[in-house]
Amino acid sequence: MTIAACALLTLAVAIYVFWLHDDGDAGEVKTRLAYLKERKDVVYENLRDLNFEYKAGKLPERDYASLRDSMEQEAAAILAEIEKLELQHQLGRA
Amino acid sequence: MAQLGSFALLLALALSGYAFFAGGLALWRAAVPAPAGPGYDPQIDLTRRRDGGAAAAQGPDRLRETARRAGIAIWLTVTVAVIALLVAAFTNDFSVAYVAHHSNITLPAAYKFAALWSGQEGSLLFWSWLLATYGLVLRLRYKTDRRLFAYAGVILAGVQFFFQLLLVFAAPPFALIAGTPPADGNGLNPLLQYPEMVIHPPMLYLGYVGFAVPFAFALGALIMRYPGEKWIHITRRWTMVTWLFLTCGIFLGMHWAYAVLGWGGYWGWDPVENASVMPWLTGTAFLHSVMMQEKRGMLKVWNVWLIFCTFMLSIFGTTLTRGGLVSSVHAFAQSSIGDWFLGAAGWSGEPWKSVPYYVPGFLTIVFAACLYFFIRNRDHLKSENRLESLVSRESSFLFNNLLLLAACFVILWGTLFPILSEWVQGTKVTVGPPFFNRVELPIAMALLLLTAMGPLLAWRKTSVESMKRNFGLPAIAAAVTMAAMVAAGVRPWVDAGSFYALMTVGLGVLVAATVVMEFVRGGRVLAAHNGVNLAAGMLQLTRRNTRRYGGYVVHIGVALVVVGMAGLAFNQDKEQEMGYGDKLAIGRYTLVCRSYTQGQSEMVAGTTDPNYDYEAAIVDVFRNGKLVTTMYPEQRFYHSSRQPQHMVAIRSTPREDLYIIYAGQNPDTGRPIIKARVNPLVMWVWVGLLVMALGTAVALVPSVAAAKLARAAKPAPVRGRLAQQPATAATASLAAASQTGEAGD
Repeated sequence: MTIAACALLTLAVAIYVFWLHDDGDAGEVKTRLAYLKERKDVVYENLRDLNFEYKAGKLPERDYASLRDSMEQEAAAILAEIEKLELQHQLGRA
Repeated sequence: MAQLGSFALLLALALSGYAFFAGGLALWRAAVPAPAGPGYDPQIDLTRRRDGGAAAAQGPDRLRETARRAGIAIWLTVTVAVIALLVAAFTNDFSVAYVAHHSNITLPAAYKFAALWSGQEGSLLFWSWLLATYGLVLRLRYKTDRRLFAYAGVILAGVQFFFQLLLVFAAPPFALIAGTPPADGNGLNPLLQYPEMVIHPPMLYLGYVGFAVPFAFALGALIMRYPGEKWIHITRRWTMVTWLFLTCGIFLGMHWAYAVLGWGGYWGWDPVENASVMPWLTGTAFLHSVMMQEKRGMLKVWNVWLIFCTFMLSIFGTTLTRGGLVSSVHAFAQSSIGDWFLGAAGWSGEPWKSVPYYVPGFLTIVFAACLYFFIRNRDHLKSENRLESLVSRESSFLFNNLLLLAACFVILWGTLFPILSEWVQGTKVTVGPPFFNRVELPIAMALLLLTAMGPLLAWRKTSVESMKRNFGLPAIAAAVTMAAMVAAGVRPWVDAGSFYALMTVGLGVLVAATVVMEFVRGGRVLAAHNGVNLAAGMLQLTRRNTRRYGGYVVHIGVALVVVGMAGLAFNQDKEQEMGYGDKLAIGRYTLVCRSYTQGQSEMVAGTTDPNYDYEAAIVDVFRNGKLVTTMYPEQRFYHSSRQPQHMVAIRSTPREDLYIIYAGQNPDTGRPIIKARVNPLVMWVWVGLLVMALGTAVALVPSVAAAKLARAAKPAPVRGRLAQQPATAATASLAAASQTGEAGD
C-alpha cells in the first residue's frame, strides 16, 4: 500500500513537471523605455500628491512653487529621454 | 504513514534541488549573450528568444518551465509529509519518535495539531511547508513578470533545498523509536498547552518565512539587473502581509508570556523574543525606505541590504530558537543543527599538525551570495536623486531607518553578548533587561518623534514656515496631555520610569494628533470638492491612497501600544499567604479568598481536560466595598510530562489589569500563596495591535486610483496628446496638472 502510494506520488509529480504542452514563454525583456515610462508615472503621482497637499493647506505658497518646479524639471527630463528613445526606435524600424 | 512521509520529503528534496539547479542553469543559459559576430543584431536575437522560435532559445525556456513546475510540485510533496505527520499524531502512532515526544493519547485535538510545530523536526517541516506554500503562490503568479519571477523562484528553491536537506539528514520528523513503541507519549510541553500557542508559532513562522519572498525578488532583481523599481511594487503586498504576520506573532507571544509565564510582564528581552523582533525592526525599516526608492529612486543599496539582512535575521531567529546557540526559556527544541545554519569551525588532525577549517553554513552561503552579486552589480544600484535637505520626508525616513537599525544592533549585541564574552574573556556574561531598557527606551522615544514628524514633512525639503503650520496643533495637544499628567501626580523628575511614561504618552499623543490632522485636512479637501461631509471625505481619502492612510492607522496603533507600555512604570504587586477569608489590598482592589478547589476534569472555569490535575483559588474582588468579580487563578499538574504550570487569572479593563497568580502552597506552613498585580493600561497594548492589523489590512486594499488606472489599461487621450509634444518642464507640468485633476476626485 505504502509502496503504491509512493509510486503514484512520484508518477504524478514526474508527469506534471516534465510533460510540457508549450515551450515556456520567456516573457518580455524589460527595456530602458519601459522603465522610464514607469518612472514618469511615479513622478506624475508625486506631483499629484504635492498638489493635493497644497490644497490641504500643508504647504505655503513659496514651498509649493519651489517643489513643483523641481518635480517638473524631473518630469521634463524623463519625458525628453522617452521622446529620444522612441524616436531612435522609430528610426531603427524605418 | 511514516514511510510515506519520509518518501515525500525525499521527493521534495529532489524537486527543490531540480528547481534550484535546473532553474539556475536555464537562467544562466538564457542570460549568456549569443556571439556578436558580423551581421549580429541583438534586437533580432531578442525577438527570436522572445518568440521561442529558435531551437537554441527553446532549451532554456523549457528547462525553466520544468523548474517552475518542480517548484509547484514541492508544495504537493511537503503537504503529503505534513499530512502524514498529523495523521501519526491523531492516530497516536508512538512508533514515530516525534509523536511519542510531543503528543500523548489524552492531549486535546487542537494541541495534537499544534504538536506539528512544537518540536524541532515538526517545526522545520512546518517552516518548509510554509515556504513551499509561498513558493506555490509566487510560481502560480509568474505571468506578472516571467523573467523576474523565474529568478525569484530559483532563489526560493535554493532556500527550500536547504530546509529539505535539514529534514532529510539533520532533523527527520519521521524517525522511528528504537525498540518497542511506548504505550503513551510524553505529551506536549505544558507551557505550550495554551490556546494562543496554537496560533502564535504559525503567525511567527509566516512572518519569518514570508521575508524569503521579498528577499528572493530583491536578489533576483539585482542578479538580472532589473531596470526600475517594479520589483518593489510586486513585493509590496508580500512584505506587508509578512510584516503583519510577524507583528501578530510577536504580540501573540507577548500575550502568551503575560498570561502563562506568570511573572506579570509581556516582554523580558529573552533571546528568542529578541530573535523575533530583530527582523521586525529591519522589515519595518525596509517598508519605510522602499518608499524613497519608489518615489525618488534613492537608497537602492540600502534597501537591498535591508531586505537581505531581514531575511538573514529571520533565518538567524530560527537558528536561535532551534540551534541552541544561547539559552532561553523559549527554546523548546534545542539541538546541534546550529552548525547547518552558521557553519562549523574547528581544527582537523592532531594538535601538532592541525589545520583550521570552516565548513560554511546556510547563513554564510546566503551572505556570500548576496555580497558577490552586490559587488558584481553594484553600479546597477546607483541613486537617481540626492538628499536635498535634512528637513524633508526623505531625511525623516533615513533617520527612522538609522534608529530602527540602531535598535536592531543593540538587541543583536545584547543577545549575542554571552557568546562574544565567552570568546573574548572565557566567561559567559549575560546582558539583562536593564541594559536593553536603558538603550532601547531613548531610541524608542526618538522613533516616536519621527513617526509623528514624518507625515508632516514634505518630500525634498520643508521650510520653517511649513513646520510651524503643521506642528502647532499636535504639539499643543501633546503639551496639554503631559501637563495634565503632571497635574494628576506623575513626577518625571523623581524616577526614570515616570519620566519615560510621561514622554511616551506625550509622544503617543503627538503621533495620534498628526495622523488625525492628516485625515481631517485631506478629508476637508475631498469633502469640499465632492460635496460630502467630513467623515465621507476622510473615507474617500483613505480609499484614494490606502497605502498611505492605512500606514497612518498603523501609526495610531503604534501610539496606542506605546501608551499601553507606559503603564509599566506604575505597576504594583503584592504577595501573601491567604487562608479562607483572608484579605489582600492592592491598588483600588481588595481581594478576599473565598475558597480553594482541586480536581481533574470538572474545572471551575467550565473546561474539561483529562490531561492534567489542578488546584485553584476562588478569589472575590471588591472595589469600594462592592463585589466586582470572582477570579480563579489555578495551578495545573500535567500527567504525561509531570510538570506544573500556572494559569493566571486576569481581569482586564481599559484602565488597568488585575492579575492574580495561584503560586501553590508554602511548604513550611501549608498555606496557599497568592500573588497579585495591578498593571495599568495593558489592554491598550492589545488594542494597539488590533489597530495596527486594521491599518495594514487597509494598506493592502488597492487604492481607487490604482484600480481605475488598471481598468483604464490605456493612457488617457489628454496624456497621449501631451506625450507627443516636445518634452519641457511646461509640458510636464501640464501633464501632471491633468492627472492632478483626475486624482482630485
